[in-house]
Amino acid sequence: MSARGEAELPFYFGPERALFGLFHAAGTPARKAVLLCPPLGQDQIRCHRLYRQLAQALVADGVAVLRFDYYGTGDSAGDSAEVDWERCLADVATAAAELRARSGIDQVFAFGARLGASIALASAAQARFAGVVAWDPVLDGRAYVEQLDALQLALRIDRARFMQPRKETDVAAQWLGFAISDSLRQQIAGLHFKRPAAPTLLLESLPPDRPRAWNGFVVDAATIRSLQPPTPWDDPRRLEVAILSHPLIQAVTQHVREVA
Amino acid sequence: MQEQAFRFGRARHLVGIAGLPSSAARETVGVIVLNAGLVHRIGPFRLHVEMTRRLNAQGYPTLRFDLSTIGDSAASGESHTRHQQICADVADAMKLLGEQAACQRFVLIGLCSGSQSAHMVACSDARVAGAVFLDGYAYRTLGYHLRYYVPRLLDVKRWLGVFSRRRAQQGSGEPAFTVAPLPQAVVRADLAGMLERGLKLCLIYSGGISRYFNHARQFRECFGGLVRHPDVFTRFFKEADHTYILTGDRNRLLEQIERWLAQNFPVTAGASS
Repeated sequence: MSARGEAELPFYFGPERALFGLFHAAGTPARKAVLLCPPLGQDQIRCHRLYRQLAQALVADGVAVLRFDYYGTGDSAGDSAEVDWERCLADVATAAAELRARSGIDQVFAFGARLGASIALASAAQARFAGVVAWDPVLDGRAYVEQLDALQLALRIDRARFMQPRKETDVAAQWLGFAISDSLRQQIAGLHFKRPAAPTLLLESLPPDRPRAWNGFVVDAATIRSLQPPTPWDDPRRLEVAILSHPLIQAVTQHVREVA
Repeated sequence: MQEQAFRFGRARHLVGIAGLPSSAARETVGVIVLNAGLVHRIGPFRLHVEMTRRLNAQGYPTLRFDLSTIGDSAASGESHTRHQQICADVADAMKLLGEQAACQRFVLIGLCSGSQSAHMVACSDARVAGAVFLDGYAYRTLGYHLRYYVPRLLDVKRWLGVFSRRRAQQGSGEPAFTVAPLPQAVVRADLAGMLERGLKLCLIYSGGISRYFNHARQFRECFGGLVRHPDVFTRFFKEADHTYILTGDRNRLLEQIERWLAQNFPVTAGASS
């Protein structure tokens, strides 16, 4: 097996060793470190491959990387219905500390996609990020909740998935395959960002028909970069298709390479 | 009980999560869950995490892991066919779980391509005592065609909609990554061979594969008298989709698997966590 595979260490960490992480050690002494904050729900599964590819690209540049799962997601402890926004922010801070300890690098950057980007932005001060790369972050929580509710309702009558339409009670209290609590729904609905707490690069690739909520958030237009092609985050026909993007990997690695 | 993460395998190329009940007895089977398609080891909508944790609570040691080149697992560096590589990966997984939990016999669980992987290994590895095939091999039968076409032929509205749907579907195809199914006669012979060797088999199919399977009766239409063998259990969850996207459907599936395991591979007394 390649030395690269050997350098990817899976482990549990944090309070009660409840969080799953996979540390990608840099082959040479690391110069920088990046924490990859996953999205939530089905986006997390769709992005798993991409996050691994991104981690390997960063490692090739001499950057130490930690991927991890929030409590109630992925391989971490907890049920899907227990995912909690505040706990996600605390988990990011725990993971950032773990990355600092394992890499010996204090200057940690964060990357996140969709809600993972929102979580990275919201936890930037608490986790002491030197910078954040946010890919299509969710900045308007209420609109996002409405969109997920609509997708979930449409699922009920999806003839490509079910032989017969399902009852409303069958699809209640879930978003696209994952149980959600009322509190998480309210926490996400209440999301609203104005100014980033750390230097932020915003990578945007939403399809042209999706509303942008960047206005009023990013203070400097130079910190927005568009990626092509558009990413089909919310296309129900691709709900179980992986999200892959070489332009994204190039943009993130280039940015991390260039920042001080 | 706490789960443990492992990097393991003949080339230390595999990544998996073991759930190890504190007092599992040697006689208790270990349960190994295989990748469903390209989804990493947590399974579609975290199905494999829920499954393994529920089985751990019943006292079964479990391992959910990524086969070579899937999820977090790397390539082994060997020049193996996919068949050889899957058999070798699962052998590595059985070795790990055997070392960690002292179990000597195993039940494999797989959905979709995971079912095909489980089938492959169950054909040849003597340590496999049972298998759960979720949406495994199936074939369109005369019964399938009758159940599919007769209601449609009699439905005028459907006739009117056919042409507009065809137009809408043109040009919207996604590239599909599928594995060519084994011939029906081969699968029948394989299943017969497994039963002769004493394996217990659980076939659970969903309404999500209605393109080629649409009734509980089709198990018999596909596999003949095999399905009446006392060591074969079949169930058709007509209402569910292929990847069990709804929590209620997932719960019913997991209850069924737990019941089947408890009946066929009961946990040795004193082995619950």
